[in-house]
Amino acid sequence: MLQTWFVARVSILPTIMLSIPFTVLTVFTLNILLVEFGAGDFSGTGAALGAVTQIGPVVTVLVVSGAGATAMCADLGARTIREELDALRVMGINPTQALVVPRVLAATVVALALSSSVTVVGLTGSFFFAVFIQHITPGAFAASLTLLVGLPEVLVALIKAALFGLAASLIACYKGTSVGGGPAGVGIAVNETVVYSFMALFLINVVATAVGVKATT
Amino acid sequence: MSKTAAPSTLHPALRRGAESFVEGWNRIGAQAQFYGATVGLSGTAIARYRGEVVRLIAQMGLGTGALAVIGGTVGIVGFLTLSAGAVVAVQGYNSLAGIGVEALAGFVSAYVNVRLLAPLIAGIGLAATIGAGATAQLGAMRINEEIDALEVMGIRSVPYLASTRVIAGIVVVIPLYCVAVLMSFFATRFGTTAVYGQSVGVYDHYFYTFLNPTDLIWSFVQAVVMAVIVMLVHTYYGYTARGGPAGVGEAVGRAVRTSLISAVLVTLFVSLAIYGQSGNLNFSG
Repeated sequence: MLQTWFVARVSILPTIMLSIPFTVLTVFTLNILLVEFGAGDFSGTGAALGAVTQIGPVVTVLVVSGAGATAMCADLGARTIREELDALRVMGINPTQALVVPRVLAATVVALALSSSVTVVGLTGSFFFAVFIQHITPGAFAASLTLLVGLPEVLVALIKAALFGLAASLIACYKGTSVGGGPAGVGIAVNETVVYSFMALFLINVVATAVGVKATT
Repeated sequence: MSKTAAPSTLHPALRRGAESFVEGWNRIGAQAQFYGATVGLSGTAIARYRGEVVRLIAQMGLGTGALAVIGGTVGIVGFLTLSAGAVVAVQGYNSLAGIGVEALAGFVSAYVNVRLLAPLIAGIGLAATIGAGATAQLGAMRINEEIDALEVMGIRSVPYLASTRVIAGIVVVIPLYCVAVLMSFFATRFGTTAVYGQSVGVYDHYFYTFLNPTDLIWSFVQAVVMAVIVMLVHTYYGYTARGGPAGVGEAVGRAVRTSLISAVLVTLFVSLAIYGQSGNLNFSG
């Protein structure tokens, strides 16, 4: 529970800060295209498709691995350097059970919550951008939201987010508990966490998207 | 607050709020000062520390330690854009097929990859690999008091450590970005034609019709701007790390968060500035 709050605290601000420009950017690019086609009224479709199926999971990836996993790895790495893990073992407590499992659970829960909030924030942001800056009728935007995106897509996005949280926190915990070599070691471990979790999460994203698209159509 | 016992002050909550506001304000000022110094002294860095710049370029391009095993920065960024391009193929093709215009997948590749995906992913890859590495290095140097040692020896640490890294980042990002763009094109093409079975001719036709060379050049500008910002943020956080081994890890985490946000914001503003409301699409078809 404490871990959930910790992970949520470090990731909520970056989430909002990232999801707004991200969706605005996507909506902006797509809307140019749609207006050019003469289909500006369908911008809601584009926004929903972007926000729910792609931006939601991708921003969750970035935040979970960039903010959550790094903080976790730094925390665990510092404990390893200070030999707190060895102390736990001496006291007969299994560090995996005491430290790793709560973190992994927390990251999974937070990733789920984050991807929902990313979607909501993103849709709100793109609504304001589309309506007030690109002059698209609000009603048409709202009506076309559900044209391509329905419940199955939202479910797939949530499942993806849970997978991301799981994978990223596992990587972070492994890297954090196997740190060695002083301050530089912790820095390098955090660096590797970011890189590896990005790679793993992007790979999961491709596979999950392909599976999800097959499952929903 | 002083450590000795003191009588409680008037309006403590108000005071705390004001103090934290002033502190945040001062931090912004200190960051701006550091960025100014780093950029201003980059001339000195090129003139005096050319060897260091070259060494850093080599290090950043190929990676160090465990990262070198999987192909260094180039490999990582290539891989990230490869998978992102594959997502474009999967999602784009299927969404377009939903409204019956899957022939336009080539157009989506030429449009989305250039304007949106490649710069963003390259910036993120840059922040995660080179940037976080720089923060870790500088942070460890700060903790081990190596930066103070440099100052004592009469070497100006800002140009020697920070400016050289910013310059090296700019140099490295150019070939890196070429790899990123090519990889995203290749992945989308492969996904659409080989996996989903669209004919290569249809894909290529729409791809080349809508590929706008000017867009490509602008997206290079985007990538370079992003590299500068990312390197500045990361060197600042590394340079000011404190608090032992845990502090270095924390600094890396904070730097990654900040630079991700600033990279995305930069992409947004630069693309708003470049493409504007109209979008100057190439509808010669």
